[in-house]
Amino acid sequence: MSTGAREASMRAFGKPSLTWWLVVCALSVVVLDGIYAWTVQLRYGMGASGFNDHAFWAIDIANVVTFIGVSYGGAVVSAILRLTGATWRAPLTRLAEGTAVCTVLVGGALIIPHLGRPDRVYELVTHPNLAAPVFWDFIAVSTYTFASIVFFALPLVPDMAALGEEHGERLGRGRRTLYAVVSRGWVGSPRQRKALAGALGLVSILIIPLAVSVHSVLAWAMATTSRPWWHESIWAPQFVVAALYSGVAIVILVVAGFRRGYHLEALINERHFVRLGYIMSAFALCYLYLTFADILPGAYVGENGTEAVFGELLVGRFAPLFWLFVVCGGIIPLVLVALPWTRTVSGMVVASTFVLPMMWLKRMLMVIAPANFDVVSGDSGRYHFTWVPIAISLAAMAAIPLMLMVLFRIVPLLSIDEIEEIEEAEREAGAAAAAAFLLAQQDDTAVEESALVRSGGTATRVAGVTGALLLSAVLGVFGFGAKTPAEAAAPSGGNSIVLAAQQAARTGAPVLLTAKLADGAGHPLAKAEVTFLLGSTTFGPRSVAIGSATTNSAGVARLTLGGHSKGYHPTTTGPQEFIASYAPTGAEPIESSTNIKVTGARSAYTPAPPKPLDPVGAALPKALFLIVGTVWTLLISQVIRVRRACRPIPAREAHRV
Amino acid sequence: MPSDTTQELPWPAVPSSNDLPDPAGPAPDPAGLTRRGLVSKLAALGVGATGVGAAAVAVVSFQDEARAAAKAAAPKAAEHAWCMVIDLRTCDGCKECTKACQKRHNLRPEQTWINVYEMEDERGGTFNMPRPCMMCEDPPCLKVCPVAATLRTDEGLVLVDTDTCVGSRACMAACPYEARYFNWEEPLPAKRMPMPNTPQMPVAQKGTVGKCVLCADRLPQGELPACVDSCPMGVLYVGDLVTDVAVNSQGSTVVLSEFLHDNDAVRFKEELGTNPRVWYITGHGQTLESAS
Repeated sequence: MSTGAREASMRAFGKPSLTWWLVVCALSVVVLDGIYAWTVQLRYGMGASGFNDHAFWAIDIANVVTFIGVSYGGAVVSAILRLTGATWRAPLTRLAEGTAVCTVLVGGALIIPHLGRPDRVYELVTHPNLAAPVFWDFIAVSTYTFASIVFFALPLVPDMAALGEEHGERLGRGRRTLYAVVSRGWVGSPRQRKALAGALGLVSILIIPLAVSVHSVLAWAMATTSRPWWHESIWAPQFVVAALYSGVAIVILVVAGFRRGYHLEALINERHFVRLGYIMSAFALCYLYLTFADILPGAYVGENGTEAVFGELLVGRFAPLFWLFVVCGGIIPLVLVALPWTRTVSGMVVASTFVLPMMWLKRMLMVIAPANFDVVSGDSGRYHFTWVPIAISLAAMAAIPLMLMVLFRIVPLLSIDEIEEIEEAEREAGAAAAAAFLLAQQDDTAVEESALVRSGGTATRVAGVTGALLLSAVLGVFGFGAKTPAEAAAPSGGNSIVLAAQQAARTGAPVLLTAKLADGAGHPLAKAEVTFLLGSTTFGPRSVAIGSATTNSAGVARLTLGGHSKGYHPTTTGPQEFIASYAPTGAEPIESSTNIKVTGARSAYTPAPPKPLDPVGAALPKALFLIVGTVWTLLISQVIRVRRACRPIPAREAHRV
Repeated sequence: MPSDTTQELPWPAVPSSNDLPDPAGPAPDPAGLTRRGLVSKLAALGVGATGVGAAAVAVVSFQDEARAAAKAAAPKAAEHAWCMVIDLRTCDGCKECTKACQKRHNLRPEQTWINVYEMEDERGGTFNMPRPCMMCEDPPCLKVCPVAATLRTDEGLVLVDTDTCVGSRACMAACPYEARYFNWEEPLPAKRMPMPNTPQMPVAQKGTVGKCVLCADRLPQGELPACVDSCPMGVLYVGDLVTDVAVNSQGSTVVLSEFLHDNDAVRFKEELGTNPRVWYITGHGQTLESAS
């Protein structure tokens, strides 16, 4: 069957049909319309897309999550099935990996229209905040994108060599040159095969935790806030399963489309679709379970905010949409897979057609319901769809088939080498030559679940990193030198008041305020309430009452500030004005003020104690950078490894190949 | 590479107490990360990976050192710690504060940097609750900003550098008080002479976020924020935790700590650990139990 895969791949390189052109034109129009819509949004602001302060996140986030999510199909079909040795994957891997690359590129690009100032997006590199989940989103998505491209590109080397060798003249000049460059030096020697297999094995393993990390961090962008329903620990795994679920669905659609368009029925048959359907149904069950597990605890306890949001979701404004998701996005696909007479190619395609928009809808609900909820008043805002975000979303949707259609006119749409290798292996194993393409011996539909468990590895976690409070109270300002009491007299009406202030030479010594009250005749006034005030300059010149005292028989009222006395204590050192005031009923108040240089003072402010997890948060970015650095190094080294294996080999080995 | 926000900004240096904390302990052992069975074959590769990782750690450490240096250079303690006290007992919901704020900061009508919420009390009655920015000591909005456009001054003001803001609205998601407002459209045209855009007195830019700044430009002059100044009931007090004084528009000047203590002042959503610097004095039956 070796010619089968090669012939089928060449089919895509013929003269494009009229249908191909029509489809490409139609998709291009939709994409251009989306770009135009984005320029409208840039010009008139995000408000043109229906956003407001009570719907600050909406369709763009749902789009990003959806489009990056569907790229997981590549990881599942290719990486997981490769690692588990499911040989039936072979004709699907190239399509799945290509879909992964295209969707993750589109998904990543969809962040841009989400930003209010896309012109500043470079600041994520030049001015990042390492404590922000969104920064790690950027790191995770770019790492995963790079890994997807490597995973897509590495197996191209032998395929391009094979096609270039056999059908060089049919390839056309552009493709021939490209193929020659990519596959330069590839002869399929055991050494080269070993290098390629090793590299692909390693990238397969890497791409699974990377995929997990991307959706986890996307979830944490929401889960690390204190909003009801967002602040849930289950969100990260739920996002990952959602991505796997919708990822398998898009692989089914893409494979079905290309199978029909390029007549690949001989290579890809109904059993491929049914197996993908089984995988999809496993994820469907898993996702429905997680959805239930997500909502139950919050709804059961019924805290104000959570109850309000779940009320909107389950019985309120969003209920029709939510139950539509449950039925069309969960139950109907499951039924279509379960019933024998719908377990067909078209049945699986219909199921996938249900899954993809419904999963988008679910994400939309997950974004919009908590974002709409006002966490102060409990009211709910509204997000108003306008044509702008719809056009952008449609453009993203159209961009996927458009990119794939163009991509697979450039690169072979089947992984020829993988197919042939597996064929070879099975022929050697004595398997009967079948007319149809091979399907795997081992029945491993449950395999993806075990792979899932394993994939919970390096999930990047952005803990809230908080700043330790720097402001500390100034304790015991050291002051020396006794102050001579300052005095001032202010006769008014009949009475007179004289205030004296004094501070001892000791460190942190209290300020003693002494007011002497006398009547018109000079006799002391006893049992009179004297109010002491401080001249404050913080908010302009003002006086603030800092305490009061009653005069004794000698007409003296005393107030001690600071030291061990309760009440007000001096907060700042330096010259300060103190005032004594006496306001007898039915008479003009009298005042006396004095200035003294306060030497012992302490700030009235006590900072909150530092948070115990701060050091952990500080260490986390370093650990994450170390992991990300290792991943990038490993990925780049795999490309170098395969390239190096393709170098011309020494003459003494040459005769062996 | 990442640089400390405070070092690049044209206003007086701000100690980065609000940024990432100091490096804690030694860097993680790089060998632990490459200890995968798979990689054992690729020893050279592992060395390379460790190199890249170590470089990343070095960069982060450098950042921390720069911060430490900035910290050392900054004064030990701020002269002020601005805060607000809101006496709900006398608020009649006239929204003069909101109007004054919008006028001063040239805001659109829907941008209510100080918003007066109508809340329900225990007995089903309603009361009015002005909500400015809480100026949290541990602000959730600051942590989530991907480009470090939100900063906290050493006097405790949480401000936005709208020349850096990328418009991700992560801060709007994170704020538990809904205190942030986005410029969804072109801002209103400036009525006065165009002022330079500073975090203390921001000039609205389309596609960036805005919020209450507690009139940060007025405070150093000893002037009252627009909302405090305009409140006809003297509901709003602006205060300084360091000098222990708070004032309102009605000439009332109080010792802040005693005022808070004597009136059983509470903070909104204390349980979130944000340590807000806005205190509320509640009347009989009034609770700050929020919707969430």
